[in-house]
Amino acid sequence: MTLAKDKVGIISCSGEDLTEGTISRVATRLVLEKLRPDETVTICLPLFLAGSEDERAFARVFPTIAVDGCSKKCAETGTMKFSGKPIATIVVSEIMKKYPQLKVKSKERLSAEEMKTVMKVAEEIATKVDEVLCKKSKE
Amino acid sequence: MQEEQRVNSQLIDKEKIAIVACAGMDKVLGSVVRASAFKIVEKLRPNETVLVCIAPLVANVKPYSELIKKNQVITIDGCAERCATKIVVKSGAKISGRVFAPQSAQKYNLKPNTASDIGPEGERLAEKIAEETALLVDKLCGK
Repeated sequence: MTLAKDKVGIISCSGEDLTEGTISRVATRLVLEKLRPDETVTICLPLFLAGSEDERAFARVFPTIAVDGCSKKCAETGTMKFSGKPIATIVVSEIMKKYPQLKVKSKERLSAEEMKTVMKVAEEIATKVDEVLCKKSKE
Repeated sequence: MQEEQRVNSQLIDKEKIAIVACAGMDKVLGSVVRASAFKIVEKLRPNETVLVCIAPLVANVKPYSELIKKNQVITIDGCAERCATKIVVKSGAKISGRVFAPQSAQKYNLKPNTASDIGPEGERLAEKIAEETALLVDKLCGK
């Protein structure tokens, strides 16, 4: 992981229990690779939780956004426990309530229809990244 | 919420072997391990295994941390950091079996594509890791 200025760390749950974990994971990768590749880095949640000092130091110094699949908010809880409160938390199950017409059932390969939901979540993450960086530049 | 309740009720099953898989975001083998975990729990050994999400173990979500202390656990790690193993040990559980994905990748000479799309070789590797894990499950079940 390279430390750089004006980066936001995205800590995504990627939980295997629920489809929302898959949505968190795929949406986060969309943000990292397509929507905001120059402004974001990911922090590997298992590595962060297992005790990697590099990952934890990044999250102490740079703003982080936790992307959680469900109300357990493990990514947010873990970040708070080891580095500090994330600047924002996105809960996929809450976003999905706004789009009841969009359904996701798969936990592995998502269909084109399911990817529409993922894109909505990715767009919300990207908007949050913009808000965070805009706030930071004004400071 | 209903889905969360279903997951919690599954976690009460004392007979099942807990599978704790790495699922790391930033390495391709994390994605491969995640895919293999679904293959074990949903296809190869659905009656003998339960998938335990890694993050709730550290967030100390009760059904998860209690299950791994009571049940047998197999960890599947995606890189040399061995986060799944470390987190299970830190949670106070004992590990009955371990699978190390980089070793399997080398053994079968399979190169997955990327973390976003593991590609055909990644899929085959996920199947191989799932099969190796299923054999461990059988051994622990006394088969």
